[in-house]
Amino acid sequence: MALRLWRKAIKMTLREKKIFVIFTGIYTILIFLTSFFIETTLSAGEGFLSNYFIMIFFITSLILSLLYAWLIVSRNRRIFATLKCIGWTNGNINSLVTGIIMFTTISGFILVIEGLFHYAAIMGYLQSTGKGFDAYPSILISLTPVVITFAMFLFVQIISIILANRKVLKVRPVIALKRVGQ
Amino acid sequence: MPVSKDVMIECIDVNKEYRRAGAIIRALVDINISIKSGDFVIVQGPTGCGKSTLLNVMSGLDLPDSGKIIFDGENIARSKEDRLAKIRRQKVGFVFQDFNLVNTLTAIENVEAMLWPTVLRSKEIENRAIAALRDVNMLERKDHFPVEMSGGEKQRVALARAIVGKPRVVFGDEVSGNLDPKSEKEVMELLKQINQDYETTMIIVTHRETVAKYGDNIIKMDKGRII
Repeated sequence: MALRLWRKAIKMTLREKKIFVIFTGIYTILIFLTSFFIETTLSAGEGFLSNYFIMIFFITSLILSLLYAWLIVSRNRRIFATLKCIGWTNGNINSLVTGIIMFTTISGFILVIEGLFHYAAIMGYLQSTGKGFDAYPSILISLTPVVITFAMFLFVQIISIILANRKVLKVRPVIALKRVGQ
Repeated sequence: MPVSKDVMIECIDVNKEYRRAGAIIRALVDINISIKSGDFVIVQGPTGCGKSTLLNVMSGLDLPDSGKIIFDGENIARSKEDRLAKIRRQKVGFVFQDFNLVNTLTAIENVEAMLWPTVLRSKEIENRAIAALRDVNMLERKDHFPVEMSGGEKQRVALARAIVGKPRVVFGDEVSGNLDPKSEKEVMELLKQINQDYETTMIIVTHRETVAKYGDNIIKMDKGRII
């Protein structure tokens, strides 16, 4: 049942194009930058400055995730109230919200990984032509920093899901019966 | 000899108060009513008379301060939210004044949404949604989004959503409040048809006289009391 609700959450997220594109875009940038600075720290041993940037991106992603969770519940209060009226439990609605939040984050990761694969492929080709591209790294970010970033973002998402779930609990089904604008 | 009908909903000494801006508003005062299975009931009264509050407590959306609500043999006046949600899913359908359709879902998806949290297979859910849309003459619009529909069409989809779970009772809150006279007639006739075909109990809250004529039983309210 939860799987079905997650599938529906993906469909609903994709149809909210504007918000999906904005948040996925920002997540993609944050995930890339965080992974990049973790890579720098791990490979070149550049400590303080990289850690400083990682911290900034981590806090930014946390604030953004909380904002996204708040936005989803606030924008959909009436919908969630209606779903409660027609027999959805809080758990059902939480599954839907979790699906929406996770799908947006995972989409950001897929875009970053896709981008990194394309970079490696293009760089591999350019280096093979021998036209002076040897100075550039053939792999921009390795797997470990991406996995560490994924774990960090997963942690952040769990916090935002908890916040969203608490807000969903407060949505009373009777709101659905109030007139629009009341 | 007529077959005696079961009691679907019984309100016994139901009271409900609200506090608003420091004042206590008695929304329901000693309400005692009995609604039989298959009845078409109209709850009528002026704005603020307590009719929507009565609908809320009878449907388990809100709890009374005192008294009993016997819904299909079970007192729901003190039930927990998850139990009430289960009762609503299995036995209740809702039709709202503002339709309350999800704009990012098509007509058929809006109807199916009622059954998504159930153990029914996806194909069964789809078949039921198609049957419900056919009942309200909206099957040809099944892939349309709410923004592409008129008010009357939206309300018919909302009605399909209300009946797709084969409920024992359909509650309607000012179902024709946002409709023109022609659409109001269509929607009310559909409700009457569903009431007769499936013996679904209908409880419709309204302030309109044009809607009241469809009821077999009219409950008139004023100042929180049945008059």
